[in-house]
Amino acid sequence: MANRVLEYQKKDLPQNMSKLGWALFAIGALAGVAAFYVDNTRAAYNYLIAYMFIMSVGVGSLFLIALEYVAGADWSVPFRRLMEFFAALVPLMFILIIPLLFNLNELFPWMNKKLVEGDAILTGKAPYLNSTFFIIRVFGILLLWTLFFYLFTRNSMNQDSTKDQKFTKRNIIISAIFIPVFAITLTMSSVDWMMSLEPHWFSTIFGVYYFSGTMLAALATLTLAVIFLNEKGYFGKLLIPDHLYSLGALQFVFINFWGYIAFSQYLLIWYADLPEETVWFLHRWSGSWAFVSIFLIIVHFVVPYSILLSQPAKMDAKRLKIASIWILFAHILDLYWLIMPNMNEGKSGGAVFGWIEIAFPVALVGLILVVFNIRARNKNIIPVGDPKIERGLNFRL
Amino acid sequence: MNIDYTIEAPVVEGRLTLGDIERLVAAPMESKPDKKFYIALSISGTFLLIGAVLLAMSFYKGVGLWGNNQPVGWGFPIVNFVFWVGIGHAGTLISAILFLLRQKWRTGIARFAEAMTIFAVMCAGVFPIIHTGRPWLAGYLMPYPNQHGLWVNFTSPLVWDVFAVSTYFTVSLVFWYIGLIPDFAVMRDRTTAKIRKTIYSIFSLGWRNSHRNWQHYEKAYMLLAGFATPLVLSVHTIVSFDFAVSIVPGWHTTIFPPYFVAGAIFSGFAMVVTVLIFVRKIFDLEKIITLNHLEKMTKVILATGLMVGYAYGMEFFIAWYSGVQVEQFVFINRAFGPYAWAYWIMVSCNVIIPQLFWIKKIRRSIPAMLVIVILVNVGMWFERFVITVTSLHRDFLPSSWGYYTPTIYDIGILLGSFGLFFTLVILFTKALPVVSISEIKAVAEGAQPNHGGAH
Repeated sequence: MANRVLEYQKKDLPQNMSKLGWALFAIGALAGVAAFYVDNTRAAYNYLIAYMFIMSVGVGSLFLIALEYVAGADWSVPFRRLMEFFAALVPLMFILIIPLLFNLNELFPWMNKKLVEGDAILTGKAPYLNSTFFIIRVFGILLLWTLFFYLFTRNSMNQDSTKDQKFTKRNIIISAIFIPVFAITLTMSSVDWMMSLEPHWFSTIFGVYYFSGTMLAALATLTLAVIFLNEKGYFGKLLIPDHLYSLGALQFVFINFWGYIAFSQYLLIWYADLPEETVWFLHRWSGSWAFVSIFLIIVHFVVPYSILLSQPAKMDAKRLKIASIWILFAHILDLYWLIMPNMNEGKSGGAVFGWIEIAFPVALVGLILVVFNIRARNKNIIPVGDPKIERGLNFRL
Repeated sequence: MNIDYTIEAPVVEGRLTLGDIERLVAAPMESKPDKKFYIALSISGTFLLIGAVLLAMSFYKGVGLWGNNQPVGWGFPIVNFVFWVGIGHAGTLISAILFLLRQKWRTGIARFAEAMTIFAVMCAGVFPIIHTGRPWLAGYLMPYPNQHGLWVNFTSPLVWDVFAVSTYFTVSLVFWYIGLIPDFAVMRDRTTAKIRKTIYSIFSLGWRNSHRNWQHYEKAYMLLAGFATPLVLSVHTIVSFDFAVSIVPGWHTTIFPPYFVAGAIFSGFAMVVTVLIFVRKIFDLEKIITLNHLEKMTKVILATGLMVGYAYGMEFFIAWYSGVQVEQFVFINRAFGPYAWAYWIMVSCNVIIPQLFWIKKIRRSIPAMLVIVILVNVGMWFERFVITVTSLHRDFLPSSWGYYTPTIYDIGILLGSFGLFFTLVILFTKALPVVSISEIKAVAEGAQPNHGGAH
């Protein structure tokens, strides 16, 4: 039994993957830098979209790891290492945040002291929405996430060589602590980075809404990595459609969850029709934004729902790959829809789309590939020392 | 205790043979009811009668006997309705959603939980109908063209409730019955008494355990699980809409739908655990409904309890963050106003006490578990009370503020609903297999094909 697992030890990923990653990242980053010179505000908003996407994948992967431990899942054990690679985006966010720090005034109206003083509502929110507390929160949260990332991966890596079950037990405890921390910090991040872009507006479900997108982004990147590595033979021949089914089913669950949350938020605000709440949707309905809003429903719910509904679709690597790429695109679109309409705040309504909107996602994809490659270097691609690895590989529905 | 993570804990303990499983589950139906059964039945029957009598008086004299009045027009009836619908949700979660997610441990508890769903929805259904004051007119809730020119208001979530709950009840009943068919066949084959054999034969629909039978069964079961899943979510979502679509501060908040669903699962699991603790003991099912099952359920209770706590916190935070004064007032009034006692019962029972389930010893101790789950039930009833009453009793006009007190009739009818629920549960344990015999056989050790090793 042990020999079978040994086949997976330390294989290098294909060279061209790393090259492609660097190329995409270089092109995107160059274009991004140019974008900051051409139109600083617009570039800052786009950068925020990319930053939130990285957050989705990074901390979302961390949450999936914790979920696996807490739920005692075995099917996902062979993929857990891949999630750990993606979670490495979390510490990187300390660097990625820098361009945002220089543009906070561009992004957040409540950073403008004069505006706040003349506005009773914003003055009321000032104890929470002020730049000092904002910075404390943002860095505090990044520190916490990085700490959990470090603990999870250290225990998991140590287990590779020692095969000691105590690391599993430790990680279960860490996961149980992480999940409530995650709920609070992710909500705070969504309020801070996205809801407060429109500082008058509020919605209690907003944190849950962002969470649903986070899960989809993390699951879709994981699925793509699993399918790609499996095609190249990195999992031997042991991954079967049952494993893919589980990934597909989870994607399907969260597609529905996103639809449910988005619908709940919209219906309740539309039905009550209170001006302080409807304003946010009205901004997303002015001019060409109306098309983006309709498009979002189709892209983020109707299409992936139709792709993933049937059982064979969840077991078929090809269709699952299409669904995953589609979902990643949908998540970018979702973030675009959440963030960009605040750039003009209804002044000159209408969605903007051009090379700047393409540059950042390109850099983003490149960056994820690069980080994945660097993390995977000289490491086992599956957690060979995990006590549940055999159960995971032998998983049958 | 050290766990070996390399092996999966068996779902059924004690290496029962398939015959043992049949005998264990069929035993309550094949023995004469004993004294304990009659005592339990008479207690729950008494409560049911109390409720029936008080309800009859309410009809005779009018619903003015209840505490409902301005400004709190929605008192106990709505609170009880939401409470019972919520209890029902755990059943569908276990029988349908956990089935779709291929959780094998659900087999031991699914039948019982599903039965509780049906009984709880029955209890729930009573309340909105009696709350109308003239229950004999309830038929008009169905939109059909009639000579009175009456037509329902489709923009009201109360009407959506009628459709959602009745559809949910129907699908749950069919789903439950489909699952029972193979077990009816088992009972038919076991029994020798003539009348019972005839009854079981009719309900087993000519089941012969053939491959064709099973194939159709599996397909139908899967499809119904697929139907039941969105239904169960829609029901409590719509129940939350009853409150949230209005512009009453404290009711209108966007997190209500997922928060209500999480709360429903929370309270439903607490009720399932409460009842199962007794059932597994009385009917000797401890090897089928194991301590591991109960522990898993306490984990679900802990998780959903945290979600509910998250929603409480988020509501408070956004009430402050929104800068809307009435919103802020309602929440401060909730926590420190005249109903603060109810609010703090809710918070301590739903958020603080379930935190004890972080400790493994408590998760595996039956007495501790029983106390906590009963408190969760209390807390979840109070949650609905807090939402309904505190938001209404001080509305926009201070001149019309008031304090709602339930009357003896309100309390009696609530007790009556518990009587109805437990009477049905007790009768169920004697009339039908409380655990799915065929599903348990499929997860018993040695029943699975062996995939490991040789290929």
